[in-house]
Amino acid sequence: MNHRSLAFRLAVWYALLLSATFALVGTGMLLGLGQYLRSSLADSLQRRSTQVEQILAQAPAGVSDAAIAEAINSRVAPEFNNRFVRVTRLPASLVYRSGTPADRSFDALAVPALAPRSAPFRGIVQGGTAGHIQRLVLSATPMATASGRYLIELGSSLDSIEALQERLMRLLEMLLPALVICAAPAGYWLVNRALSPVDRLSQMAAQMSVQNLEARLPVVPSGDALQRLSIALNHLLTRLRDSVLSSRRFLADASHELRTPLTVIKGELQEINEHPKVPGEARDRIGSVLEEVARLEHLVAGLLVLSRLDAGEVQRECVDVDLAALATSTADQMRLLAEDRGVQLQSPVLPPVIVRGDRARLKQLIVNLLDNAIRCTPRGGVVTLQSVTAESRNVLEVRDTGMGIPPEALPHVFDRFFRVDAARSREDGGAGLGLSIVKSICIAHGAEIEVDTALGKGSCFRVKFPSIPAGPRLRLRDPGS
Amino acid sequence: MRVLIVEDDRKLAEFVMRGLRAERFAVDHAADGREGHGLLNTYAYDLLILDLMLPQLSGTELLRSARGSHPSLPILVLTARDATEDKVRQFEAGADDYLTKPFDFAELLVRIKALLRRMPVERAEVLRIADLELNRLTQQVRRDGQRIELTAKEYGVLEYLLSSPGRVFSRTMILEHVWDQSFEGVTNIVDVYVRYLRRKLDDPFALKLIHTVRGVGYCVRADEAHGDSTRG
Repeated sequence: MNHRSLAFRLAVWYALLLSATFALVGTGMLLGLGQYLRSSLADSLQRRSTQVEQILAQAPAGVSDAAIAEAINSRVAPEFNNRFVRVTRLPASLVYRSGTPADRSFDALAVPALAPRSAPFRGIVQGGTAGHIQRLVLSATPMATASGRYLIELGSSLDSIEALQERLMRLLEMLLPALVICAAPAGYWLVNRALSPVDRLSQMAAQMSVQNLEARLPVVPSGDALQRLSIALNHLLTRLRDSVLSSRRFLADASHELRTPLTVIKGELQEINEHPKVPGEARDRIGSVLEEVARLEHLVAGLLVLSRLDAGEVQRECVDVDLAALATSTADQMRLLAEDRGVQLQSPVLPPVIVRGDRARLKQLIVNLLDNAIRCTPRGGVVTLQSVTAESRNVLEVRDTGMGIPPEALPHVFDRFFRVDAARSREDGGAGLGLSIVKSICIAHGAEIEVDTALGKGSCFRVKFPSIPAGPRLRLRDPGS
Repeated sequence: MRVLIVEDDRKLAEFVMRGLRAERFAVDHAADGREGHGLLNTYAYDLLILDLMLPQLSGTELLRSARGSHPSLPILVLTARDATEDKVRQFEAGADDYLTKPFDFAELLVRIKALLRRMPVERAEVLRIADLELNRLTQQVRRDGQRIELTAKEYGVLEYLLSSPGRVFSRTMILEHVWDQSFEGVTNIVDVYVRYLRRKLDDPFALKLIHTVRGVGYCVRADEAHGDSTRG
């Protein structure tokens, strides 16, 4: 997972915000619940207290403590209701004290006595033995009746409320991580889903090439930034197409317009040179000019080939060609050229490797690759040409033991007019178009070209052809023809 | 023999006309399609040389109308090898031959002569110059009676040079005749083959037959006359 991706960051933010919200709501819930439970407990204590007050108020003067206890036990039933009730006749004579509650949530005997007071009290008291601290909510109400002044104390353990709060707390603590665990991937998925049209756009944009200048991206009909993005990209493509077309037209026009003057220059000079009265020195100099004309001719021819390849005019024929046989026969035609430079040209005879394309162009591709390899290899070196089927792809491989390509030059070897060693190859008469023609032929055939190179050890050019779709063979021609 | 050349480039036309006149042709020139059309329908020509890219009436239109009105007139088309080349292929039925610019005048002359059947393509069984002998049937080459072993390409180059002794063949002509267009741009393949050929044919003998004409190409000649040929 890419930690800097938009989807990842959005998902993290989403999970964080969701968790913060959940934590806030949870805390509020916890506090609110505690508040509510406490106040309802206080209300219930108040009601019981009122009942006890009524009992005391109705009691005639001189009533026995046992009668009061009887009345409280039957009407308030503190043990059964888990309440603490204590009635004290002021100043300090205990009239009634409830016993152990049904849930044993507190020890009635351990509840500390409040200081005598005249004002009502409501609050929390602590008491109990050292081993067991008990906390009670206690409401104390002083009252005066015919039978005397009393202090009514009513209490209830906080244990059940605190246990409830604690359980809710535990629940929230468990839910929060679960929520984050669920929310983060869900957020990631959501963001990815929202971004998927952008992804499709970029994938399609990546497949665009100068080979298909008319291709456009589908417009996402969303009416928002996505739609504007796809429309803007399409406008960009249109402008790119116009500029590519105009540069192609220029290349084609230029190489075309150069041909007629070249014919005249060459013809006139040749005619002069054939004249018997031309002195030897002049003849030699005209010859030198003619050599330059020949180089110009090669250049123009190369440019023309490129401009025609650019215009997609390659597939003049599309047949199944045995690459292995074509490679071997082409190598045979160039062997002498290699030997002349003291380079050994190896082209082992291999089983047929069938690719689909234009025979003449494929041959030109092999010739240019071999020419390049032979020129880059010093005397005593070896150039190996072979075509094999590797990983279900048909591969043409030209390996040399030459000087290799420096890393800074590697990205440019297929550029037009690029030379690794400008001075040396210009001497050779290379125009710097050979490899760019190779590249264009590769593109036209849907093939990829790779270069492996080690400085001082040699280079290997590998052309990987697409596999031929299943179906009938397109007339396989005799490779020797 | 009267030839009409329809070519809008004045200098190219002049150069071709001068060359053809030197070969004793009568040459007329039209600078655009309409003028060419007019001349063609006024005089009787033995050959039409036509540039496809013309002002006024395009070369292809003129070709069509000329073919219609003069069914047996040999037509040689000149073209810059661009997209129109494929059109040329379509009109191959209309044009008898075509030549791409930049061309060598020598090549043009060969094509013209072939079209006019004045000089049928040399198909002699045995080609000879001085003591060199090439047998087209057995593909054997002998010099001074000794058999010389040549590779297929060496033989091809020699046979081509011998087809017209004394004439200079440009590297492009040799390349296109013996190899194919794939080798265009491969720097010096012709030179290498000619050097090997010389090593076998000329080096052992005093009389050198293969001559280099600097900037132009090669020719086979038995005399040491003009040319100051240098070994390249």
